[in-house]
Amino acid sequence: MSNLSDRRGQLDVYIRPVISVSKLVKRYGNVVAVDGLSFEVGKGEIVGFLGPNGAGKSTTLRILAGFLGQTSGKATVCGHDVALESREARASLGYMPESVPLYPEMRVGEYLGFRAELKGVARGERSRAVGAAMEKAGVADRATWVIGKLSKGYRQRVGLADALVGSPPLLILDEPTAGLDPNQIRDVRKLLREIGKEHTVLLSTHILSEVESTCSRAIVIAKGKLVAEGTLAEMRKLRRSPALVVVVRGDARKAEAALAALDVFSKIDVELEGDLATLRCAWKKKVDAPENAERAIAALVTAEIPVRSAAPEQSTLEDVFAELTSSEVAT
Amino acid sequence: MRSFWPVFKRELFAFWVTPLAWVLTCVFLVVQGMHFSVLVKNFAEMGSIESDQTPIQAFFGNTVLLYLVLFLLVPPMTMRLFAEERRSGTIESLMTAPVSAPAVVLAKYGAALVTYAAMWAPTLLYVVILQRSGFVDWHVVAASYLGVLLVGAGYLALGLFMSAVTKSQFIALVLTALVLLALFILGIGEFVTRDGTALHDVCAYVSVWAQMNDFASGVVDTRRVFWDGTLVVLPLFLTTRVVDSWRQDG
Repeated sequence: MSNLSDRRGQLDVYIRPVISVSKLVKRYGNVVAVDGLSFEVGKGEIVGFLGPNGAGKSTTLRILAGFLGQTSGKATVCGHDVALESREARASLGYMPESVPLYPEMRVGEYLGFRAELKGVARGERSRAVGAAMEKAGVADRATWVIGKLSKGYRQRVGLADALVGSPPLLILDEPTAGLDPNQIRDVRKLLREIGKEHTVLLSTHILSEVESTCSRAIVIAKGKLVAEGTLAEMRKLRRSPALVVVVRGDARKAEAALAALDVFSKIDVELEGDLATLRCAWKKKVDAPENAERAIAALVTAEIPVRSAAPEQSTLEDVFAELTSSEVAT
Repeated sequence: MRSFWPVFKRELFAFWVTPLAWVLTCVFLVVQGMHFSVLVKNFAEMGSIESDQTPIQAFFGNTVLLYLVLFLLVPPMTMRLFAEERRSGTIESLMTAPVSAPAVVLAKYGAALVTYAAMWAPTLLYVVILQRSGFVDWHVVAASYLGVLLVGAGYLALGLFMSAVTKSQFIALVLTALVLLALFILGIGEFVTRDGTALHDVCAYVSVWAQMNDFASGVVDTRRVFWDGTLVVLPLFLTTRVVDSWRQDG
């Protein structure tokens, strides 16, 4: 069942992607900010747009949102070319710029009403649309507040409400959690997951855990080029576990000797805590890790060492990212 | 043009919700009020009908005070229109909404023009006061206010353009003031250059001084109106081009 819907999702991508970017280039003078970037985002996806600072994320999003023109290449949003049908393209998306610029002298409700009118929401629909957006973004309780007096977290939510007003099919969010404290980040991520149920979302970030917690797919760029693209599982597969972590009870030195005798580990770090010892065993060759892990556990059991647990060390997306962006090779 | 109204309303709101328009209006009305009372006192002390001028004429024409006031009024009114949005980044949300550059430019300009007209509106009371104690030629009044509106319309358009070419409000203010000063001095050139030369004709054509003298005596010259129109249309057109160009260089 899930397989079927997965496949249908994939088909949608090919039938009519919500965002389609092809060989996009943006130059500022001699500086190439975006360098031949191509990717697609399908309907209903929440895609994380990842890259270190200065990778060209914001520039790409600004081109998609219609704020900047590209130097060459083609980008379409909901079937509209962002250069040729800019207005139709802009009408079909909600965009939240990186710094969440707002007019400080306006009240939240007034501002969102202004934005709704600007986006062409019909007069009779406006107050309902504003109310719905405030409800979704969790700012309904601040409707009469002057924006300049709001906290950073609430301002971020007003920015989200702004993007949501009029329920555009696509949301483009540039670093939606930048500058927030951990609680606010958790709230915004929860919000994003909710929003993702009804809208297609492309969000940029340089924090990998953000992608892990909210997105279904990631697009990684560095220096304006595509470095990797895929589901989170695929991204993690890019890098195999670097080590086996074994927790044993009793004589740690005996365990270390038994493991070292196998000659498959390049380094074994031992950490003692009470009568438990945690051994982090780094693989010499990662490729044979699964079989060698079985051998390692068998060796410990043979040596009559009580094993509490044995698990491959999870490589985080940070590791994946570091590897991808330093080598700049997509595999 | 559908995006004209929301932006126009927001700009008016920004003028009148912040203290800016109120402060400017206050200063403007105090200066104008003093100007008017001094004039009226002068005319009263003159006794009989020696003067070939009326107080209205003296208020709008043949006085440097009018330009001084415009010079102080217009640059602070227009400096923030685009510069502030670009400095604070709100231009990004504005331009990524389905708006068109001409609509945004016209809306901002329209709001400034309406605010400017609103500042002048209370001075109509002076005319009412004059009428209670004497004869007022309403044609002259209408021509004078038309003149003030036309001159201001051109100045505001220039100010809007200056606000679009820089991210700094202060630089926009200085640039606008310099351009207005240059225009005024060019007009004064009418009295400095020799009669019959091309420069003299140009100076006379663009002279805001001469224009207000004409209008304040009830003469609405279409050449003047055309020049004022040029000062409105050209800067607005250029501003639209500047706004469009931001897409290319970010």
